[in-house]
Amino acid sequence: MADSGFAPLADAAHDPPPFPPTPDGKYTEAQSGLWGLRPALWVALYIAASLIWLLWGGPLVTAWIGSVLAPPFAHLLTHALFIAASGVFFYWLLYFDARTLQRAARFQDIRLVEFIEQITDAAFIKDRQGRYRVLNSTGANVIGHPLAECLGRDDTELFPAAVARQLVDDDRQVMASGTMHSREQTVALAHGEFLFRTTKWPWRDAAGHIIGIIGISRDSTVLKRTEAQWQRANDELEERVQARTAELTAANQALQDQIAARIQVECALRDSEERFRQLTEHIREVFWVYGITEERLLYVSPAYEEIWGRSAQNLLERPLEWIEAVHPDDRARIHAAHVAKLESGRLDEEYRIVQPDGAVRWIRDRGFPIRDAAGYAYRIAGLAEDITARKLAEDQLRRQQVELAKTSRLSLAVEMASNLAHDINQPLAAIVAYAQACLGLLRQDRIDPRELTGVLEEVAKQGLRAGDIIRHLRDLVHKHPTARTALDLNALIHAVVHYAELELHWGGVTLQLELATPLPVVLANNIQTQLVVLYLMRNAIEAMYETTAEPRSLIVRTALEDPDTVLITLSDSGPGLSPEAAERLFQPFFSTKPGGMGLGLPASRSIIESQGGQLWATPNPDQGMSFHFTLPVYHGYQAPSPHE
Amino acid sequence: MNDATPTVFIVDDDPAVRDAVSLLLRTSGLKVATFASAAAFLGSSAAQQAGCLVLDVRMPGMSGLDLQKQLRAQGCHMPILFMTGHGDVPMAIRAMKGGAFDFIEKPFQGETLLERVREALALDARQRRRQASRAEAQARLALLSAREREVLERAASGQYNKVIAAELGISLSTVEIHRKRVMEKLEAESLSDLIRTLALAKDGE
Repeated sequence: MADSGFAPLADAAHDPPPFPPTPDGKYTEAQSGLWGLRPALWVALYIAASLIWLLWGGPLVTAWIGSVLAPPFAHLLTHALFIAASGVFFYWLLYFDARTLQRAARFQDIRLVEFIEQITDAAFIKDRQGRYRVLNSTGANVIGHPLAECLGRDDTELFPAAVARQLVDDDRQVMASGTMHSREQTVALAHGEFLFRTTKWPWRDAAGHIIGIIGISRDSTVLKRTEAQWQRANDELEERVQARTAELTAANQALQDQIAARIQVECALRDSEERFRQLTEHIREVFWVYGITEERLLYVSPAYEEIWGRSAQNLLERPLEWIEAVHPDDRARIHAAHVAKLESGRLDEEYRIVQPDGAVRWIRDRGFPIRDAAGYAYRIAGLAEDITARKLAEDQLRRQQVELAKTSRLSLAVEMASNLAHDINQPLAAIVAYAQACLGLLRQDRIDPRELTGVLEEVAKQGLRAGDIIRHLRDLVHKHPTARTALDLNALIHAVVHYAELELHWGGVTLQLELATPLPVVLANNIQTQLVVLYLMRNAIEAMYETTAEPRSLIVRTALEDPDTVLITLSDSGPGLSPEAAERLFQPFFSTKPGGMGLGLPASRSIIESQGGQLWATPNPDQGMSFHFTLPVYHGYQAPSPHE
Repeated sequence: MNDATPTVFIVDDDPAVRDAVSLLLRTSGLKVATFASAAAFLGSSAAQQAGCLVLDVRMPGMSGLDLQKQLRAQGCHMPILFMTGHGDVPMAIRAMKGGAFDFIEKPFQGETLLERVREALALDARQRRRQASRAEAQARLALLSAREREVLERAASGQYNKVIAAELGISLSTVEIHRKRVMEKLEAESLSDLIRTLALAKDGE
């Protein structure tokens, strides 16, 4: 018999196989005890039977047997019968009890089998040798053999070697440690690969000895697959969510960037506005904005009050105040510029303003159009700058320049005179020294006629030398050959204007050319004519410099007076000349100009006359003087005039 | 103390002027030497001699003003009398600032020239005497030891012997001995002689 309360199924191989179970209800009550009687009752029954035997059965049997056998043997046989009967009884009792127990175990087994059959997982019980004692059909399906074939066999016979080794190792480990063991393993079987989560624990007998392994194996393959699918789906979802989140984040970021950029721009704008405000409030220039559509001044920076000496508030309220501040002499011009500015959007004017206390300041006012997206100028922004100091400096400079020009010309004249004086003074000094030496000798009565002769000869020679110097000077004046060519006077005037530009600028003179075109060419010496024109222009500029009257204008006019004569006129707006001065104008060494040599006009006249023209001056009807000269028209080839 | 007769040096590029002025000065009994250019004058030893210089301002090459500058740079203090054919104010100012003795315009009165030349020669003689005595004083001072020089400086500035002794950390008798030696070396007979010698020697410094 087995050493356990449960009869191992294998030991009852002759019994009907435990599976499929026979759910036979008759076991239910019949199997509970030996007819349901308690052991004490059995003992009582036995004692009762023994007493009966002793009192009646024994004597009766002995009597019966004594009739056959001798009394000693009859006694002996009677006792033997009792013992045998007791033995049979006890055997029966024990056997019956064992059967009952066995049936109970079987009943348990069936219940167990039934139970484990209901488990969806593979469940099994193995003995120490690893043979399957109990297994459900799920387990058999897993193993891949019919259930009947699996029972009583071990893993090495049922599984591929590698899997079997692993299973056997696990079993041994569980049996060695006596603890529950759980593992997840992938098992490659003939009909596919499975993932099992197997839990095994030791099967102990009543004494606690490990007699085998009980285990449940859950096929998580599908679960895993589902899980994997779920995971995938989940991942996919996650991914989508993430992608979407990323999109949203990006959008959000973009939005935030935009917001940041906008804030930045706003800050920059605020900064810029602030800077602008600080700038406009602190710059010395007056910054203004004029609205063309509004037809009024929209903004004027605080510097206005300082420069104009007037209230900026008033200016904004009374649009005409600004023109009232302009100097009366400049008002018409500035008003015109203002009107023009509304058209062009541009302004660049210098003008004077009068402060309320009467002080005059020079302003340079510049304006630029501000255009809308369509390119339409709707505002004018401008800067008005106080250039009084610059103007004064310019005036000063102009005065200095003109002064310098005068001085330099003067110093040139002085230089020439100095050269001449030096050259003449040399022989004179020698003559005087010789003469005085002679006088000294005469006074000392040390007269050596030969020595005296030599000295006097020297004196005469030095006198002649002085005469030579003067003759040479005269030659210099008269000996200049004058080559006359065909000249375009208009072109010549343009060339001369170029030379005089600086002086015109310094003198603040506006030049006006009224040149007749076409103008016939004249026959004259180019250089000399240029010199005359230049001289007359400078003369006019200087004459006007003496006057404070504005404007200073110089008009240069050319005209064909008659078919043979071209007339050139230079009219200035200077102070003009008194009749007395006009009369003496062409006399040498007469000059109305401080520092003037008084040689320019006589020289100019002699040059023009030497070219067959005339030069004269007339007072202008309003103010200033006009100088005129004529030159002969060149009528094609002529016998060239003789020149040295 | 110059034994050589002072000479009037005439520098002018114009031979007639040179000759005439030379004749004029010679007839007045002066020793004359002429040069046709400033370079010729510098090339000679004339600048070291006693005399004065009659110099034309305007000359080709080195002008009179340039020569004046050069001579001053060489430490020659010979009086210079400028002649000019046509003088202008800036030129005269330059000449006078450069230490010219005078500036005369051609043509000039012979008497005027002679007068100015004589004055210039007298100035040169004075300068040379002064120069000689300064050199002598300096030579004598050079004989003094450093201590004697210290004593002399203090004595000349009016310090009493006692004060000098205290300041220099020497005894009164030592100061007196130093003072006596200084008097001997400088050939001075009184404190005022000492001061004069010292002033002379320092004149050029």
